[in-house]
Amino acid sequence: MNTIAEHIADFLKEYPPFNHLTFEELSQIAMSIRVVNLEKHKNLFQINDVLHDSFYVVASGTINLSVISDAEETLLNKCHEGDIFGLRPFFAKNNYMMTAKAREESIVYAIPIATFRPFVVNNSEVLNFLLESFATNTRNPKDKENLRGKLISDNVFYSDQQSEMQYFQSLSYNTSPLKATITAVVQDIAQQMTETLKNNIIICDNNFPIGIVTDTDMRSKIATGRFPVTVSVGKIMSSPVITVVENVSLAEAQLLMLKHNVTHLCVTHDGTDKSDVKGVISEHDLIVAQANNPGVLIKEIKRSQNPKELKQIRERLTDLIQTSISKNIPLSHVFNIASEINLAIIKRSVELSILDLGSPPARFAWLSIGSQGRKEQLLLTDQDSILIFEDVSADKYREVKDYFLKLGKRTTATLEKIGYELCPNGHMGSNMLWCKSLTDWSKQYDSWMNTPGENSNDLSSIFFDYEIIFGEQKIEDAIGNVVFKNAKNNTLFFDFLGNDALRKNSPLSFFKKFNVEEEGPNKDKFDIKTRALMPLIDGARLFTLSFDIRGINNTFQRFKQLAIADPKHAEIYLNSAEAFLTLSKFRALEGLKNDNSGQFINLEELSKIDREKLKNALAPMRELEELVKNKFQLTQFS
Amino acid sequence: MLDWLKNINKEYPEFWKTYLSKFEKKSTRFVVLSTETSGLNPVKDVILSIGSFAVIDNSIVIGDSFEAVLLQYKFLHDNGLSNEFLVESKIKKLGEAEAIKLLIEYLGNSTLVGHHIDFDVEMINAALERLDCGRLKNEALDVDIMHRKLHDINDKQFSLDELCTVYNISKSDRNSSAEDAYKTSLLFLKLKSKLGIK
Repeated sequence: MNTIAEHIADFLKEYPPFNHLTFEELSQIAMSIRVVNLEKHKNLFQINDVLHDSFYVVASGTINLSVISDAEETLLNKCHEGDIFGLRPFFAKNNYMMTAKAREESIVYAIPIATFRPFVVNNSEVLNFLLESFATNTRNPKDKENLRGKLISDNVFYSDQQSEMQYFQSLSYNTSPLKATITAVVQDIAQQMTETLKNNIIICDNNFPIGIVTDTDMRSKIATGRFPVTVSVGKIMSSPVITVVENVSLAEAQLLMLKHNVTHLCVTHDGTDKSDVKGVISEHDLIVAQANNPGVLIKEIKRSQNPKELKQIRERLTDLIQTSISKNIPLSHVFNIASEINLAIIKRSVELSILDLGSPPARFAWLSIGSQGRKEQLLLTDQDSILIFEDVSADKYREVKDYFLKLGKRTTATLEKIGYELCPNGHMGSNMLWCKSLTDWSKQYDSWMNTPGENSNDLSSIFFDYEIIFGEQKIEDAIGNVVFKNAKNNTLFFDFLGNDALRKNSPLSFFKKFNVEEEGPNKDKFDIKTRALMPLIDGARLFTLSFDIRGINNTFQRFKQLAIADPKHAEIYLNSAEAFLTLSKFRALEGLKNDNSGQFINLEELSKIDREKLKNALAPMRELEELVKNKFQLTQFS
Repeated sequence: MLDWLKNINKEYPEFWKTYLSKFEKKSTRFVVLSTETSGLNPVKDVILSIGSFAVIDNSIVIGDSFEAVLLQYKFLHDNGLSNEFLVESKIKKLGEAEAIKLLIEYLGNSTLVGHHIDFDVEMINAALERLDCGRLKNEALDVDIMHRKLHDINDKQFSLDELCTVYNISKSDRNSSAEDAYKTSLLFLKLKSKLGIK
């Protein structure tokens, strides 16, 4: 018998989903409730916090749910008395995706998930309510007005980032539209559109637009059989065509399309249909203008026909990275997006080569190695890749290898045109040495790992960060098996890698000053790549190999995974993971500023705070080094 | 004056010895306590009901509570009072000895919190004395004093209702020691975070 528990049950029964439960059930739930008081502006949980073991009901006050997008918090929802929130632990295992903060002094009831779960399982109404509520996080899911834009999903980072700017933003559009005369035959036109991957063609009379034919016309008038394919285009065109002046703004174009219910606008010299055609704006152009968003970029990569188009897309990726960083989007997300796009570009480059050379004579895999293999390429750095093809009979070997060398050369050349410099060490699929059959590659890895340092100074640790870009997954798996089989109890190999990791010069001098370059073109600059990032990357690789963690190539994620696999040293790993992100950000910012790889940081230009931040990020390295030495029993001189 | 000499070799009841042994460790648990009494004189008056909640890690644990109505038939009879409200109540009814024993077990070594807690402690001590036990050893915090300390007020006392108004805690029409204890718990949580008590 507990008076207050009954009062709480009384309170709860007024609100969904608790109104579906009986008073006895509610009293039982109330017995296990904790009552939490939140000061104004106090966070109950934050984005990326580990899930609590309970969800919450507001007893009094107001709780704001928000996400961080742009540099500031965006409010998702306000929870008032009786609202439930923090439902994530019911449905998901990963950390909180939003922040719950008290807007005023508030009291919330924490209901343990373990207590509540049986009631959910036995009561479908409660379950449905929670599910809907989880998706929208408003009390009454049927309330459509509140529902808009409140879906709690992972891509919340990219929504609504356009400001009023878009009303003044001008559009880039197709300035060389397809044109045809009124007498042209539909079939020819369809052929022309298909070849050029366009979905519209302007019908002109003396270069004045009189109509337009789009995919829709083809569908509704030809494919339905209303007209034969041999009919003249004048019969099926939409006329008149909506015309606009040049330099139309995004917002205006959008309005016109909505007003006239069309998908294309024709741009003419003076904005009437009695002047020369200058171009055509499609809905697609509007979407592109609205967001340099990753999805659009990837789609465009898939459609692009030549290196030049890919180059433009790669340049837009740089913009995207720059805005993402300035909007404080977590760097791990930016890495993910950038690597997906880089991956798509390389994949498309391989595809383009195959289109030129004809289909390959054997199955193969194009693997990215190094930073791209680790999915950490933000800026234009050099390209590293290897090519593995399946084993073929001896008589065909020459021919097959010739084909793949050609493929490699063509692809690397394409990538060079896009802006990825060739690897100065020649670590590329176009190199005789790194374009081999599966058996040869297995042997190569065997010899690297079992007799490291002998007869091959060309062992570069980047060969142990690989990611399939194109081709047969099985081939990558086979190489993975070879690597991990050899890694088992291979002290010699770890000794070699460990020493390699330790060989890098330390970033700070004895007096805690930055060790800067003493001569050369980068005199007095700090080499963040070799002095700070490489030791972390090497360390992460070394430990993942020794802990037999497969399939994770990203340094940040490797450290996170290591913290789980080796909980004793979790703190060191997590610190290293954070340090890695911080350092990467410094490098990315420097690179964006100077349009280079950002390897050398100009310390003079950093603010004092940033310099301290950079210094702090270097601290975990020392601990990691010690850990390497202990774990693999290395001394500085072994 | 030399009363303590009489007690020096006295054998305590078992539950009291257990209680004393709990103080070897320090507790992070707070128990918010409120009692209802027949009057303000610790010697003549008796406890009529007890309500209390535990506060752990900045939250009130509803399940960790103690509530009881004390069957003070003798006292009521002697003073010619009605015992109707006792009979009507649905809360667990216990004799004074039983109730105090359970309360002591429930309190353990926790820090006590209450509104004018020293009076509650005095009342409990008087009851304990009737059971041949010593005095409560728990540390005690008073929400009124906490409030005055926060605002640097020395010349005025505040009633529970006044404090609830200041800290915006809704008053309920129902009145019982459990209700008071709950309100005091909320007050305590708020004051605790404002004063930065760990």
